Amino acid sequence: MVAGGLALAFVVFLLAGHPGFREERVVMFLAINFMAGTLIYYIRLAQRGEDFYLRPIPGLKAVEEAVGRSTEMGKPVLYVPGIMDMDQVETVAGVIILGHVAKMTARYETSLNVPVSRSIVMKAGREIVRESYTMEGRPDLFQDDMVHYLTDDQFAYAAGVNGIMVREKPAACLYMGKFYAESLILAETGNSIGAIQIAGTASQAQIPFFVTACDYTLIGEEFFAASAYLSQKPELLGALKGQDMLKAFVTATILLALLLRVFNDLGWIDWNVIDFLTVQ
Amino acid sequence: MLWKRQIPILIATVVGLLTLFGWFTNNPGIESFVNDDATQWFDILASFAIFLGALNLMKLQGRKVLKQHSGWQYSLFTIGGFIFAIVAGFIYKGNDAVAWGFHVTSKGTLFKWMFDFIFTPLSATMFALLAFFVASASYRAFRVRNLEATLLLVSGIIIMVGRVPLGSSISSWFIMYLLVLVGSIAANIKLQDKIITFGVLLGGVVIVTIWGSLAGWPVDQPSIFYLPMLQDWIYNNPNVAGARAIMIGIGLGIFATSIRYILGVEKSYIGE
Amino acid sequence: MMKYIIELILSIGKVDRRWIFLVIGLAVLLPLFFPLGLPIRATNATQRVYDAVEELEPNSKVLVSFEYGPSTKPEIHPMAIAILRHLFTNGQKVYVTCLWPDGQFMAEDALTEIAEEEYGLTYGEDYVLLGFRPGNEAVVKGLVSNIRKLYTTDARGTLVDQIPMMANVNKVKDFDFIFSASAGYPGTIEWVQYAADPTGVPMSTGTTSIQVNDVMPYVQSGQVKGILAGMPGAAEYEALIGSPGIGTSGMDAQSIAHLVIVLFIVFGNITYFIETRRAKKY
Repeated sequence: MVAGGLALAFVVFLLAGHPGFREERVVMFLAINFMAGTLIYYIRLAQRGEDFYLRPIPGLKAVEEAVGRSTEMGKPVLYVPGIMDMDQVETVAGVIILGHVAKMTARYETSLNVPVSRSIVMKAGREIVRESYTMEGRPDLFQDDMVHYLTDDQFAYAAGVNGIMVREKPAACLYMGKFYAESLILAETGNSIGAIQIAGTASQAQIPFFVTACDYTLIGEEFFAASAYLSQKPELLGALKGQDMLKAFVTATILLALLLRVFNDLGWIDWNVIDFLTVQ
Repeated sequence: MLWKRQIPILIATVVGLLTLFGWFTNNPGIESFVNDDATQWFDILASFAIFLGALNLMKLQGRKVLKQHSGWQYSLFTIGGFIFAIVAGFIYKGNDAVAWGFHVTSKGTLFKWMFDFIFTPLSATMFALLAFFVASASYRAFRVRNLEATLLLVSGIIIMVGRVPLGSSISSWFIMYLLVLVGSIAANIKLQDKIITFGVLLGGVVIVTIWGSLAGWPVDQPSIFYLPMLQDWIYNNPNVAGARAIMIGIGLGIFATSIRYILGVEKSYIGE
Repeated sequence: MMKYIIELILSIGKVDRRWIFLVIGLAVLLPLFFPLGLPIRATNATQRVYDAVEELEPNSKVLVSFEYGPSTKPEIHPMAIAILRHLFTNGQKVYVTCLWPDGQFMAEDALTEIAEEEYGLTYGEDYVLLGFRPGNEAVVKGLVSNIRKLYTTDARGTLVDQIPMMANVNKVKDFDFIFSASAGYPGTIEWVQYAADPTGVPMSTGTTSIQVNDVMPYVQSGQVKGILAGMPGAAEYEALIGSPGIGTSGMDAQSIAHLVIVLFIVFGNITYFIETRRAKKY
């Protein structure tokens, strides 16, 4: 009903001359609203108790194993939340996963080391880790310096993290966030100290390096799905399902657009679907 | 509780919706906020936040030196480097003819010297480590375990060799002879028959030799076996296709994640 | 004899990775001292960049953006130098901006070497260094709408209004061409998305080899006219303009290093096969 009301209001707004609205971007506007609406629909469905199947992701199952391994060996867990700031969605996702990992380290009383590259990430990371330890009933184990700042510079940060790895020899290294060229340097050093390594990133160019050097890698969307997997909250699971539906919709749109474009090239129809879909 | 939960979520929602839908409006005020101000506000916040990070760094490293924890000698380098950079940036110019601010890039200043002779070589060295790590990672990971791993291995080799001038010097006929050899080895492993193996090898060599003689042994023909052409095709077709698919998936993931933050569905980033 | 060879292969297969590092180090170092002179053949992607620059009318206004630092200098600096040579040879006006703070240092070095020392050009009339401004893609968007909102002075402190070649240059659309020498974010993709594509100003780019994957969809769709891919791209461009430089001299080393890595991979697989067969047997 709400969606219908909003749609009607928008139609009226358009017909009334759409003051202040860029007409050439209406396709994108409708697409965004449709996609957001789909996500909201599946979130509501999940909140009402609907069950959704999620395929198992080995990398996420392995996170608890990795923390357990560190506990047994009496070594710390090293968590690297990427090298970018909180304005990147991947960094926020990485910091959220840090919260879940912190709950595990609090539960198993394993030490956690989180070197960061940005000050704002340091503050956000500290708050999340503090809250995780408090929720596990172990606020006494939390120390501010668990999450500490190294440097903003990409390779200086890589050198610093490498130094931590070689000196402290963590049993588990988790790389979750946005990475650039330093990804292989970190992963190879982690490999050389015999740590179990789990990486998650949406940085497409770095995925092959993590796949080669790490034990488990969360590729692209699997990384964004991690918080839903680890928390098992209905609204997050619903959003995941909605995301999958959107992917099916995008695939169908691509195929339909291909067909229409072929018809246009053959001269069967006048309308060029590419012009319609191109964002101005 | 209000300050730690509801207000941050409200700020995220309002600013997020404004940034998202501000792109569809032609109101100059909103456009200016979305295109310029919002990003600059963040840059200003991040710039001031550097003090927090720097103080934390000095506190940790200083404590390590004072209490002589293991590896405290490295902390001396950190503290020394930090102080040197502060001096070069804010205290000692080294070239009085240059104004403060421009001394960062001007010749003859301490800061420029530090950039050219300390920072640049160190950064280049760290980046150069990748060459060694790529070699050791490739040696360890590129194994013919299954079909996908074999495809990865073969395409990796084609691109590595085809991309450099050495690849354009390798004749396509050499590649064809190599394929004949590989084919006969595969036939031997599969069929375990010496006669068939020899037949495949001899037949292949004869066919390639006759073909090459008739064609005049051009280096880049047939182009399907010429490494630079092959690597170009692999790069521009299956590689980009796979990259596009991953980009679409990542794009959708970013969209869905951002909508979760904007609508307040995902609240973990401010703590549970 | 065969058994001895197999045992030797297996023992080499378990070699400490530091021996691999040593061999790679020698493979890169020796060709730098003893060049092989391997011929360099330009790919289509590089040719498209060359053609795009060559097609510009003399005295065109070209915006060159430096988005790399010392770590990626060996890959990107040679192509930036080659592009500047090409532009200055053809008599173009070059406007330099930087989206990275390190980029300004790189731009200073490049302009001093090429514009000042090699071509003896006049600052402010033939080329200008506008410098670095913070803000990532906001800088690109700002340049698209109003350059003077971002740049009141250039990198040397001169008011932009007092620079002769800045007359009638107010936004990105006033340029005839954009070239981005980029090593990451912000870089080529931000220039395509916020400047070149919306305004229709033609654009080319040079990036690190690893970044080519991210940019290739834009090249294939025609939004970016060609791409210089890493040091090979730089060497190819140097060959096209007939001015071999650092890119060309690095290609022998890169060729041998790639060959050595391939040999290691093949050797590693031979070891893997032998070990797998032995494991099946026993």
